[in-house]
Amino acid sequence: MRIDLSLLVPYLPFMLEGALLTAQVCVLALLGSLIVGALMAVARTSANTLLRRAASIYADLFRNVPFIVQLFFFYYGLPEIGIYIDAFTTGVVALSIAGGAFTSDVIRSGILAIEPGIIEAAQVSGLSKTKVFSKIVLPVALRTSVRPMGSVFINLILTSSILSTITLNELTGTAKIVASDTFKPFEVYVVLLIAYATLTYLVSLLIAALHRRLNRDLGEAVR
Amino acid sequence: MRYTEFTPFDIVLLAQGLGVSVGLFLATTVIGLLIGTLWAVVRFYRVPVLTQVITFVAELLKNSPVLVQLFLVFFGFPAFFHINLGPVEAAVITLSGNTAAFVYVIAVSAIESIGRDQIEAARAFGLTKWQVLRHIIAPQAMAFAIGPLTGLLVNQLQVTSLISVIGVMDLTKIGNILNLRTLKPFIVWAVVGVLYYLAAKLIAYAGATLERRLRAHTAWKGL
Repeated sequence: MRIDLSLLVPYLPFMLEGALLTAQVCVLALLGSLIVGALMAVARTSANTLLRRAASIYADLFRNVPFIVQLFFFYYGLPEIGIYIDAFTTGVVALSIAGGAFTSDVIRSGILAIEPGIIEAAQVSGLSKTKVFSKIVLPVALRTSVRPMGSVFINLILTSSILSTITLNELTGTAKIVASDTFKPFEVYVVLLIAYATLTYLVSLLIAALHRRLNRDLGEAVR
Repeated sequence: MRYTEFTPFDIVLLAQGLGVSVGLFLATTVIGLLIGTLWAVVRFYRVPVLTQVITFVAELLKNSPVLVQLFLVFFGFPAFFHINLGPVEAAVITLSGNTAAFVYVIAVSAIESIGRDQIEAARAFGLTKWQVLRHIIAPQAMAFAIGPLTGLLVNQLQVTSLISVIGVMDLTKIGNILNLRTLKPFIVWAVVGVLYYLAAKLIAYAGATLERRLRAHTAWKGL
């Protein structure tokens, strides 16, 4: 009943490789879910009823179905219709789509929180619809939604551990291999637990700093 | 003879899987609610060391992937403590702990949402700390917490899908088995997804109904 962590030292480079893969997946999935989420948020706040309905169904569906089911759907389903992509790409795509559902929610409320007066002023100034959106609505909406986006991103990091079930050897996948190599599952998973918690804590600090920096001109209101 | 076609018995299998998922969800929800509330009460009484320990454990559980916690309990505990743990026991322990951590956070913020003046007034009337908690704080905190709790429970239902990885015969595991036998991933995972979706909607509906009832006394009744 003694914890001896020195046994894990030789495996550290191997696990770092896994951590690197996790970081890659998460950054790509963050970009992906930002793009998907922004597009869906636009659809959900558009004047077109059909578009709005479709985007709402997307968000509702992907938030209420477990990620592992979505992942299996893509991983086993796509080859059936002739699309052969590796576990890495599947993982990034699935995370982007699932993350996009949550991101669209965040950005949507960011868009809805913009004062109509600002948009009206832009329209009166003669800016085109796309200009108003890309230069005014989106920057403001993204800026105010940094903090909720952060919790979505942290969730994304935690969710990425599920990719180990489709043979992707990211941080959790490598830990599984190390655990079966050393016969020390308790030590390995305790270290992994603390590693994930530290990682997400650091990310949350980073997001708080980013939020303060981006919203520094808004004064006390958003702190 | 090859059994690659869907049979009527598959419906029974799916129903069994759904039963296991929902059953484990309900059991771990009840245990998690009890433990989480107990932790919040410990914090309310400001028990010296215990409060800090609980806060730390809750943060750790909240900020690490459930999959890693599951591996730690299922593979780590038997190896380290020399005990026998089946997949179902491991699943119950992990999911209860995880739910408890989130319930703790919700309960703490619900307790803190009640104004200081109310508590001071009650203390001035000679109520003990327990009476304050039981008669002043609990009824109001319950109404405050039910919204976030519903969101949490919808999420926790989806988290139960992870226990299929350690071999519990839940809905996702049944989906896996059907997928391997019929090799029709699109249909299988779509059906599994729909079942999870419906269960999630049911929880959300039940939560909304309960919230309306708990908030009935504050509803605007007209003059």
